[in-house]
Amino acid sequence: MGEKRKKMAVAVFSGSIDRLTGLAILVSGAVAMGMEVELFLQLWGAYSFRKDVIQKNMNFSEFQNLSSEVAKRLQELKLPSWFDLLREAKRMGNLKIYVCSTAAAIWKAKKEDFVDLVDDIIGVGEWVDKMSEADITLFV
Amino acid sequence: MGMNEIKGELSPEELRKLKPNKTVDARGMSCPGPLLAAKQAITEVPVGGILETLSSDPGTKRDLPLWAKKMGHVYLGTIEEPGYWRIFVRRMK
Repeated sequence: MGEKRKKMAVAVFSGSIDRLTGLAILVSGAVAMGMEVELFLQLWGAYSFRKDVIQKNMNFSEFQNLSSEVAKRLQELKLPSWFDLLREAKRMGNLKIYVCSTAAAIWKAKKEDFVDLVDDIIGVGEWVDKMSEADITLFV
Repeated sequence: MGMNEIKGELSPEELRKLKPNKTVDARGMSCPGPLLAAKQAITEVPVGGILETLSSDPGTKRDLPLWAKKMGHVYLGTIEEPGYWRIFVRRMK
């Protein structure tokens, strides 16, 4: 009865698709479980959400020699791409995605240069304020 | 930028009439530069006095109100100028 929704805040520094896929699965699960989720996109995380980058990104952070096999298995398993998972999570629950203002400045990007999954560009003070109110905080 | 402004204590007309005790120019610095500049500069403002922070980083106009609230100061408001913001905080302790 009137129980406050649990909140998860994830700082997303990485822009490699293995980590972003792990993130997207985690976020989907959290949203499905009724949690509110907030993401803060830092350097490579922000880069990966650029309109001109999001579909082309093929970088793996670990076990690069297995990347083609992982990509193939993801297809066979019919797992949606990490950005389609996030889009679905956003549709079905409470997911907010913010770009770090310094990352935006590094990429000379405005809000309209990022895909429409991105809600806003914010500063680190606001993000730390959000993290301090979250029940779970993670760094990817 | 998209998000709603955080409401300050004063109207834009009232803000324009303020005489800040100190103005810190953090234009051209990116986050967290302006926040750190404000944190340092407020120590040079007497209790009850006003700090004006100039910033061209779009995050600062929400960072400073939230910081002020945490620190027990009062956020008075923000004036938007071409390419930057003027953010006013009253030191309370």
